[in-house]
Amino acid sequence: MAVKIRLRRMGQKKAPFYRIIVADSRSPRDGKFIEEIGTYDPSTDPSTFKINEELAKKWLANGAQPTETVGKLFKAAGIEK
Amino acid sequence: MDKIYEQTMLFDFYGELLTEHQRSVYEDAVYRDMSLGEIAEERGISRQGVHDLIKRCDRILQDYESKLHLVERFARAKKTVAEIERLTLSAERPEETGAEAGEEADSIGKRQAQDMRKMQESLQAVRRLSHELLKDL
Repeated sequence: MAVKIRLRRMGQKKAPFYRIIVADSRSPRDGKFIEEIGTYDPSTDPSTFKINEELAKKWLANGAQPTETVGKLFKAAGIEK
Repeated sequence: MDKIYEQTMLFDFYGELLTEHQRSVYEDAVYRDMSLGEIAEERGISRQGVHDLIKRCDRILQDYESKLHLVERFARAKKTVAEIERLTLSAERPEETGAEAGEEADSIGKRQAQDMRKMQESLQAVRRLSHELLKDL
């Protein structure tokens, strides 16, 4: 089972924020996810994010694949594989 | 502004103007952070096709924005209202924002006059900002 780390849009219309979630790559649309490992709020200036580093590293070590956007956030947070 | 945020805001404002198919693909990309490959595979279209479709949607949405400026105005209004909120708060509690409160406890009258002046300044600023806000509508 391929596992992905991706953003999921939350919040009301015109007030988005994103959860950083770990989910099965085959279920991006059914709303299920394995674990939430952080949040990302781009509406603040500058944008802010919170990432549970321990969980992020654990999932990366287990072969979970971050999307491009999540990869950038990880890099900004200083999280490496 | 972060790209995904820009795309999301444009989509929130103008998404209804896209076709259902465009909307559905764009949502997969910006709300669900799905890759081109994932979207392509799921829909049985080429990766290049998905890429082109998303680029075209970006362009359509930006085109609306360049004519209507709704996202830009929304961001400006939000900033102004936040500033008004901050000013009214400091007008309500001038003692918290003023310099050393207990400094001249002997002249309460002087402090009150100072508070009053600060409050008036805040109100003037609020009026100015409200005026700007209305003009922008």
